Amino acid sequence: MNKNIYKLEFNMNLQSVITWSAALAVLLFIFVSLFSSIATDAELLNEMMSEFPEELLLAFGMDNMDFSSILGFFSFSFLFAQVCLAIQAAYYGFSLVSIEERELTADFLLAKPVGRTQILTSKILAALSGLLITNVVVWISSFVVIQLFKGDRTYDTGALILLLLSIFVFQLFFLSVGLVISLLVKRVRNVTPYAMALAFGMYVLSVFGDMLGESIFENITPFKHFDPGYIIEHASYNLPLVSISLVVIVLSLVGSYLLYNRRNIPAPV
Amino acid sequence: MNIFIRELRANFRSLLIWGAIVILFVTIGISKFSAYEGNPEMLAILDQMPQAMLEAFNMNAFNLTTISGFFGVMFTYFALLASISAAMWGSDIISKEERNKTVEFSLTLPITRSRVITAKALAALVNCIGLLLIIWGASLISVAQYSPDSEFYNFLSLSMLAIFIMQLIFLAIGIFLGCAMKQYRRAGSVALALLLGTYFMSIISGLHENLEFLKYLSPFKYFDAGVLLREAKFDPTFVAISAGIIILSMVGAYLTYSRRDLYI
Repeated sequence: MNKNIYKLEFNMNLQSVITWSAALAVLLFIFVSLFSSIATDAELLNEMMSEFPEELLLAFGMDNMDFSSILGFFSFSFLFAQVCLAIQAAYYGFSLVSIEERELTADFLLAKPVGRTQILTSKILAALSGLLITNVVVWISSFVVIQLFKGDRTYDTGALILLLLSIFVFQLFFLSVGLVISLLVKRVRNVTPYAMALAFGMYVLSVFGDMLGESIFENITPFKHFDPGYIIEHASYNLPLVSISLVVIVLSLVGSYLLYNRRNIPAPV
Repeated sequence: MNIFIRELRANFRSLLIWGAIVILFVTIGISKFSAYEGNPEMLAILDQMPQAMLEAFNMNAFNLTTISGFFGVMFTYFALLASISAAMWGSDIISKEERNKTVEFSLTLPITRSRVITAKALAALVNCIGLLLIIWGASLISVAQYSPDSEFYNFLSLSMLAIFIMQLIFLAIGIFLGCAMKQYRRAGSVALALLLGTYFMSIISGLHENLEFLKYLSPFKYFDAGVLLREAKFDPTFVAISAGIIILSMVGAYLTYSRRDLYI
């Protein structure tokens, strides 16, 4: 790892990290603040739902939806936080090395007496530190908003911690997949469409599965691997699916190093 | 005219990629319909459920055993994908000149800045129409095996018109941002923030009746597939709001870009 590259990268991302973190904190606050007004309605609904057979609820994906408990409602809100986290991580992944080629600074950077592996490691670590800050902000704001709005209800801290722990792997997935795609294509002109397509594509894919019945396709999306409803309900991860995420992360990171080390960099002149 | 053709060609690949993504989603979505089609058990289950529950999950609008109802559930997501692409094309088509350092060249051509915007906006519009036609065509082909009735075709045309208006809204907002933002990098990020914000708002507004006023702020709520299916017409209020947003953004785009200091 090279300190200078790390510092430069980290400072460059800092403003965006702060914006995303603030946006996520506000998002969680707004969503969870709605809890008290919905909880009463939801209790009535739950009473009715308890009379229905298990299979029916399973068929409509309502088996792990419970708006009357604070964690049930939080897991619903957390899905939208996940969408934001995914876009942020994918954005950093796509722009990590492609920005040098776009802004014609790649040959300057690569002429430095630093190996490409080192450059990539420093850049990945810088992006990860940024994501870690966002992660910590989400942790803090989750606990704060739940304390603020839970009223006299109790909740299972263990399940909440498990849910929040999943953020890191979730971010790493989008960071590494974004990075490897940006190295697979010849040139990334504009990062936003790529990041949006990756993050929203995965999100829509997982929602399709929830609403219209499962099929094998959904198993590729991390929104399914780290389904907040499942984690809260079972207070554990869906391990086979989580391992798909881990395998994808390892493959994309290894692939990124291999591709970056032998990448042909176009010179500006 | 030259700019128009140049932009069409430059954006063609992006259109193909978005087209492939929506075709994938249409095929995955419709393929799931086979589990629901004419399945009386599903219908019986739906009948048994209390009204409040169906209301809460916005499912009372749709009968999932008919292809129209099934398509109605997917409508929101097609609209989301189409809006994302429109916002991206709109914000990128103006600001990319500054990013690619070609803005000096294109603005020294013997045409006014307004004509540059017109040509670019039209090119982006053609792209949006192309994507819409791809969604339409893919839907038609993949539902053909279920031999839908004429009601479905009416509903499909109506929902495509609704998606088109949403595309126009986000395209116009994107173009406005591309023209008005001093820093070209901001245009894409602000467009993204607007998309996310309005999408989340559309979800919050469905949660509780006290929050219904939020639907005026979110284009994703302007055209409700359930209402489209049942009443087969648009709500004139929302059509007016949409037209207002589109006109204001385009006027703003022309005004700001013609007096803008360029980033070189």
